[in-house]
Amino acid sequence: MIDTLFFALVAAVAVVAAVAMVVARRAVHSALFLVVILFCVALLYLTLSAEFLAAVQIIVYAGAVMVLFLFVITLLNPAAEQQLADVRSHGIVAAVLAGVLLIEVAAVLRWGTLAGQPASFPPPAVPWSDNVQAIGEGLFTTGFLLPFELTSVLLIVAIVGATVLAKRRL
Amino acid sequence: MPAITTDLNIALLAPELALAVVALVVIGLDLVLPAERKSLLAYLGVLGLIAAGALAVGLGGSTQVGYAGTWIVDPVAIFFKLLFLIAAAFVLLSSIDYIRRRTDYQGEYYAVLLFATTGMLMMASARELITLYLALELTSISLYVLAGFLKGEKTSAEAGIKYLVLGAVSSAALLYGMALTFGLTGTTVLPDIARQIAANRVETSPLLMVALVLVAAGFGFKVAAVPFHLWVPDVYQGAPTPVTAFLSVASKASGFVILLRVFTVAFAGLTPVWAGLFAVLAAVTMTVGNVGALRQTNVKRLMGYSSIGQAGYALMAFAAFLPGQSPAVNSATAATNSATVSALLFFLLAYALTNLAVFAAIIHVSNRLGSDELADYAGLSGRAPVLSLALLLGLLSLVGLPPMVGFWSKIYLFYSVFNAGVIWLVVVALLNSALAASYYLRIIHAMYLRPAPVDKPLAADAPLGLALAASVIAVVVLGLLPSPVFQAAASAAANLRP
Repeated sequence: MIDTLFFALVAAVAVVAAVAMVVARRAVHSALFLVVILFCVALLYLTLSAEFLAAVQIIVYAGAVMVLFLFVITLLNPAAEQQLADVRSHGIVAAVLAGVLLIEVAAVLRWGTLAGQPASFPPPAVPWSDNVQAIGEGLFTTGFLLPFELTSVLLIVAIVGATVLAKRRL
Repeated sequence: MPAITTDLNIALLAPELALAVVALVVIGLDLVLPAERKSLLAYLGVLGLIAAGALAVGLGGSTQVGYAGTWIVDPVAIFFKLLFLIAAAFVLLSSIDYIRRRTDYQGEYYAVLLFATTGMLMMASARELITLYLALELTSISLYVLAGFLKGEKTSAEAGIKYLVLGAVSSAALLYGMALTFGLTGTTVLPDIARQIAANRVETSPLLMVALVLVAAGFGFKVAAVPFHLWVPDVYQGAPTPVTAFLSVASKASGFVILLRVFTVAFAGLTPVWAGLFAVLAAVTMTVGNVGALRQTNVKRLMGYSSIGQAGYALMAFAAFLPGQSPAVNSATAATNSATVSALLFFLLAYALTNLAVFAAIIHVSNRLGSDELADYAGLSGRAPVLSLALLLGLLSLVGLPPMVGFWSKIYLFYSVFNAGVIWLVVVALLNSALAASYYLRIIHAMYLRPAPVDKPLAADAPLGLALAASVIAVVVLGLLPSPVFQAAASAAANLRP
């Protein structure tokens, strides 16, 4: 019962924030509403016993990615509301497309063969520590060790490449 | 068969680790070396490639699986690793003069090239989708950087951007396909995917077909198969010429090794489906490539279309695969498939050596004449007789004339496809070979039969000359004596197991 109430509350906040994000007049406000949505999604992850995912959601998306967004918005003249108005005039087209997508999703869930098994709600309780520990063990002791280490080499190449291509004089 | 190990055995990673360390040392030394000594870094890189090759040979002979089934070192992996290392060494040697003339960032160029090679070595051994994807991205991102490396030149910048954007789209398609595969089978380890597909009887699931097509599209981009070839002409023309050589040889071969692993292992139960798909792709790819090459006036663009045509021939091998689940396969089918794989390996090696020779010559002309236009090749035989002879031999090998290695590689490949019963495809390939001869001969015609505008001889270039001589000698010697290498390819193919 309490799970369902909590879900309803968080989901309602997320939907309201999503609507507010779309209709906000200033890009900075849109970005801040996006932070609220991302937080709500993190809370939903918590109710699904995915603590690690919740933490990553807040650190990476609500943290790092949003800071990047805000930087870009403030650097690129936030007063350009003219362009936002232009975007809004496409609202009818967007609404029709969104409606089609919604019907499509409903049809697939209702009649399609793609639908999976319905999950139990609330999900089976998982002890607090197991989630993060299982991910850590998976990353460092099983088949994911190699890809994990490979990522670090990939990042070196990205840094070297970005420096060479973007910097004017080294 | 020796026992299969499944632990975290770091020795299985020796060639990759050695190469990554050398690349890091190159970055470090780049900081302290004065600009005029930076070519030392290229020689250091070649030493690193040789060391990695020695380590790879040391691992060879048996099949070893490690890292919880995600990593495999078998003769096919060693074969491809050596191919990538040889290609990278030739490209490094050919790059020295070209890069010194055009950019201040020589150390970074060599380091990124070595990292790209490291990614290819990993692609040859990846036995699991995430490892495979990350190895592919390591290679691709390095190559995006290399394609746009001459950022002051408009064509190079354009090549870098185009390659990056189209590459990102193809990566997305590939990831989508991999995600669907994982969703249907619950595993990313290639043999387990095959097992789950068989166990759950999802061979005919439409979702699996979508996954298969998306994965084929992602890999098709790597090997430049039609209709995922649109990036090739612009990127090949705009990228620094040594990078173009690397793209056309090593990058393409790396696409084929992952095609081989994923389709013949993970999707083994769907062989009839993808064999038909690749038959059509092969026919269209070779035709579009060869017809496109006819009209080109820029040699790098021409070689780009030529490489599409050659990818079409190589794809024929996948059209010739006969169905059969790996455990219960009957011996005749297994022998036919093994012959097809060995023909593919030999074809890729022969194509690599030949194209490296041709590109070494093109790089030299580009350095000395400052042009890649076919018109500027007029009368080259008088100005650079040895170079012209080398280019002539390389082009004749691409045409597929004896006694060059290109003749045998085509014979083996076409014969194995014919044996598998896909006769119409062999007919298409033979018609295409005749068509292709005409544009290779145009270069030869320009070099030998057109008058030269000036008589000034072209100056020599020692490291590039070494790469050119070694690759041309390999093309001719392997043409006269193909059997030892073909035996090696055949024994590697015979050991190909999930």
